[in-house]
Amino acid sequence: MRSHLPRFLAACMFGLPAVAGAQEGKSVAFVDLARPFLQKHCVKCHGAQKQSGHFRVDELTADVGKDVDRWIAVRDQLRDGLMPPPEHPRPDNAQTRNVIAWVASQTGVVASRLPNQGNLVPHELLFGKATEPAGVTAARLWRLSPEAYLGFVHDVARGRVNGLVQPFSLVPERGIKDFAGLYAIDEPSAEILLRNSEAIVESQTGYTIKDGKFSTKNDTVRELVALMNPDKAATRADLEAAVQTQFRLAIGRAAGKDEVERFIALYERCRKTSDQAGAARTMLQAVLLRTDAMYRIELGKGPGNRAMLAPDEIARSISLALLDRRDQPLTKAAEKAELATREQIAAHVQRILDDPKIDKTKFLKFFREYFEYGKAMDVFKEKPKTFLHSPNVLVSDTDRLVKHVLKEDRDVLRTLLTTDLAFVNYTESNNNKERKLEAKPVVVVNPNNDKGKKAPEFVYGFDAWPKEQPARNPKRLGVLMQPSWLVAHGANFDNDPVRRGRWVRERLLGGAVPDLPIGVAAQVPDDKHRTFRDRLGVTRETKCWKCHQKMDDLGLPFEQFDHYGVFRTEELVLDIEATAKNVDKKGKSLGEVLKGAKLDTTGKISDSGDPALDGAVSDPHAFVRKLADSELVRQVFVRHAFRFFLGRNETLSDARTLQDADRAYVGSGGSFRALVKSLLTSDAFLYRAAPTVAQGDPR
Amino acid sequence: MSFETTRRHLLKGVALGAGATLLSPVLSRLAAHAAGDEQRAAPRRVIFVVQSNGLHQHHVTPEAINAPQDRGNRRPTNDTLFEAPLADHALPSAIEPFTPFKNRLTVLRGLSSRISEGGSGGHSTNHGALGCYPGGRILGQTIDLALGDVFTGLYRHLGLGILSRPEAMMNYSLCADGPDRPAPIQCNPELAYRSLFGSVAGGNSRQDFDRRTNLLDFMADDIRRARAALAGEERQKLDPYLEAFETLHQRQAHIERIQERLRAHAPRLEEHFRRPTETMRLEAQFELAAAAVITGLSNVVTLASGGGGQQYLSFPDLGIPVDGHHYGHGGGTNGKSYEECFVTVRQFHARLIADMCRKLQAVREGNGSVLDNTLIVYLSDSGESHHPNLYDWPVVLIGNLGGRLRTGGRYLQFPRYQSRNHRTLSNLYLTLLQAAGRPRERFGIADPGLRDLDQSGSIPELLA
Repeated sequence: MRSHLPRFLAACMFGLPAVAGAQEGKSVAFVDLARPFLQKHCVKCHGAQKQSGHFRVDELTADVGKDVDRWIAVRDQLRDGLMPPPEHPRPDNAQTRNVIAWVASQTGVVASRLPNQGNLVPHELLFGKATEPAGVTAARLWRLSPEAYLGFVHDVARGRVNGLVQPFSLVPERGIKDFAGLYAIDEPSAEILLRNSEAIVESQTGYTIKDGKFSTKNDTVRELVALMNPDKAATRADLEAAVQTQFRLAIGRAAGKDEVERFIALYERCRKTSDQAGAARTMLQAVLLRTDAMYRIELGKGPGNRAMLAPDEIARSISLALLDRRDQPLTKAAEKAELATREQIAAHVQRILDDPKIDKTKFLKFFREYFEYGKAMDVFKEKPKTFLHSPNVLVSDTDRLVKHVLKEDRDVLRTLLTTDLAFVNYTESNNNKERKLEAKPVVVVNPNNDKGKKAPEFVYGFDAWPKEQPARNPKRLGVLMQPSWLVAHGANFDNDPVRRGRWVRERLLGGAVPDLPIGVAAQVPDDKHRTFRDRLGVTRETKCWKCHQKMDDLGLPFEQFDHYGVFRTEELVLDIEATAKNVDKKGKSLGEVLKGAKLDTTGKISDSGDPALDGAVSDPHAFVRKLADSELVRQVFVRHAFRFFLGRNETLSDARTLQDADRAYVGSGGSFRALVKSLLTSDAFLYRAAPTVAQGDPR
Repeated sequence: MSFETTRRHLLKGVALGAGATLLSPVLSRLAAHAAGDEQRAAPRRVIFVVQSNGLHQHHVTPEAINAPQDRGNRRPTNDTLFEAPLADHALPSAIEPFTPFKNRLTVLRGLSSRISEGGSGGHSTNHGALGCYPGGRILGQTIDLALGDVFTGLYRHLGLGILSRPEAMMNYSLCADGPDRPAPIQCNPELAYRSLFGSVAGGNSRQDFDRRTNLLDFMADDIRRARAALAGEERQKLDPYLEAFETLHQRQAHIERIQERLRAHAPRLEEHFRRPTETMRLEAQFELAAAAVITGLSNVVTLASGGGGQQYLSFPDLGIPVDGHHYGHGGGTNGKSYEECFVTVRQFHARLIADMCRKLQAVREGNGSVLDNTLIVYLSDSGESHHPNLYDWPVVLIGNLGGRLRTGGRYLQFPRYQSRNHRTLSNLYLTLLQAAGRPRERFGIADPGLRDLDQSGSIPELLA
């Protein structure tokens, strides 16, 4: 299944985009590969004579950037096997892959900016022969994540900050969200940052004047609050000390001489019309709003296309990859120039990973974005009549399961896919008397409001709340059978095998599914007397099936559960005849009558890229076990971890980094920590290439 | 979004003259004015008044109107639209202060928003009230911010309100500019005054204004420097941040230019802006709201009396020293029953709204007054009661948005929940968007309890 690319193709794909010499390779690849391919397979219907779908390819040139949308359409149609149509001769597989790979390499950032487009890079190329040296990342800025912003505030303000508001948010799209290329700071966010900076400085410089005597409040910053005293004119040394302190807190380094001058000049300007304290606060606010405070700066210091990040950049980048705030030992190491070698950096990464006192919420965040079970809280359902549907409980149960598996840190992915353990309506609280944590249910049935209803453990299949947790729950295996995941990948009133199948196709098999074509109103008939599988038959029409064949069969095994995530052995459908008879004396309906229909939980894996994986499955258990054993599934998981920790999609030049990470994971017996360590000490994480095309300053 | 496009857009604006981008709605109005189209020249304004603790159905429903409703929970029982003129009936005492504006008044009943449930232990729907989605989270833009996008003043949206603690600065629990993007309601009248009218006030307020101008200018310069060290896409990534400070700086400059108008209409910064009592602070915020729309500082204002979470208020000045939660659960105080407490507090709010209407009516605009071009939307973030069930979310409208709405003197009760022609709060907001010239098919999240009902679109009975 591995393809070997012609040498010219490798030359233009593995280099960084738009380096000298690539132009030549680009046209060779076009002339020798892409153009003949299009001529042979596409131009007949999409050329000068005929333009099916108002689309023509005969005008495309080697300059992909000039016509990027059309090239992306070509790439997607080929990749998804939608073109040429089935009745036409099939192109050679290896050749098709080469054309896809070439277009993918040329469309570059434009095509792969969004996290969900990561799978567009062909898997076999990433896990085929890797070139040396490993690829690096382009110099970049990365806006703080919402959590990292709160961490920033925590770093700069020692005391409570009143009225603080989150200025940042993340894209609501599926999957991994915090990509460096996705975020800028706009006006509404800047307004919030301004107000927050005022509140932070207020907290840093709190003071009181009682009986004419100036005294500072607790948790203030000495060098900063010193400027507030109205009886003591600030000296130049006071101002310098304050600027330097604020720089260390907010930026993690000392201010340069020029920087100090400019901030003091701002103070002087304000001082003309304002009192000393006001002018000083404005100056201190300005430091908090700086670009290098609000962004992770990752430019690399040094010339050329392979410059290591500067020590202060490394300190912040590693800190924010693993935590949501500055790790102080890392900051100190940067100051002492002790982050110069990969070994030194690796030792710090290992220290953080091994320290049980450091909270690894970042890890949980990755798994939430990878599995997306948190979306259960966004699927709004009618309240069931017989039990409590509490999506927040379901999500926190899965969170806990993930943490449990991460604590063991062995064979993490396989365990998450196949464990028969579950936390069930579970939380812990402090028993102050016995001074220990005590397990208890999150939600209990309120005898007044929830009369006759069952608690959330019912959803998992338990009649009573299990005291021993995690509890064995053999009817469901792993995260994909957790009620949270099933609800998150369901609809308001029904299961959603399409969404579930799409998740499996993308996150486990590394495939891609085109978005719903514009103008298509996807609608499963609302025939309540038929099973959902039966109703979903509408997608088998040829025009739908082209895409749905990638999803439906991968989602149907989960029909084992209803749309609240309850295990079932039959599906309840409307009994038309019985309902017609269910009337009162006046003929008024007394409601719908349901009956059980036979449940079918079969499914099929097809076109996965791994022939050993393809084939029919009888039920969700066999299905996830088969997936969990697959090398492909594991490698796709590694690709997702790469995206999360590197904040970008993988490119072909990252093959070495990905394979090293995969090796670290396998070699450690499936340790997620080992995988992360490998990624954070890779060239892709630590080295930067100078920006390629300077597009000029429009000013 | 292409960063480059936005930047070019801004630069194009700057080339026209400082502040041109920012003021384009103002400029287009001036052009219309010059063309003699007085009606089109006038800006439209919407003021939302959100009062915590529920807006009870019987407080807004004239008894003699005989509205078809359940005797117990007062839920509508009509299967078709029930409409009656208000002219023939006295208003309930709770909203009696609206009487002089009865011909501009519309009472809406029977709109549900069951989807907004959740959050705050059933005491508030938080952002769900103006956003039509579950109240526990911020899932989208609220209607006031959405209208702010259309009726842009110098500030796109202005939130003013009070909370029980006088030192509380902001309430972020009601308005939002998008998913996970709360928008502020300023709760300290003095600070709100400074930020809106500080440039024309003396002393500390003017100092604040000048410092802000300096800071914005400095930041724009600082970001330009950082930007110069970058190339390509990364350089463009900083453009929106730079534009933000440039725009804010331009706004300061524009405020300097309209000093005369601001001076003419700025409220006087008197004792009630600083007093700790709820009534005075709320009065001050209503004054600011009126002044802000009259001067064009903002055309969309949200006034919030408490609201969001369990942020109730006590009104010792009105003889109610206990907070809304107490009488919300049936407790009386000072010889007043809980119902009397509710009515007293409601009357106070109705008076403030009526006073604001008078102020807007007193300022001439085109052939009429500012009030003619204004719509006031009065509702509670807690639907119809302290612990609402949201099958019937009463809303009071005053004004017709410059003739774009068919409102005024009408009592409209929409068909009951789950009946064929039932309407939701979301449909009302869609109507406002349509009246604003920005129609949408959907707003917020559909109620799964109404699965057989088409919940999209506006309410034709309300459109002019």
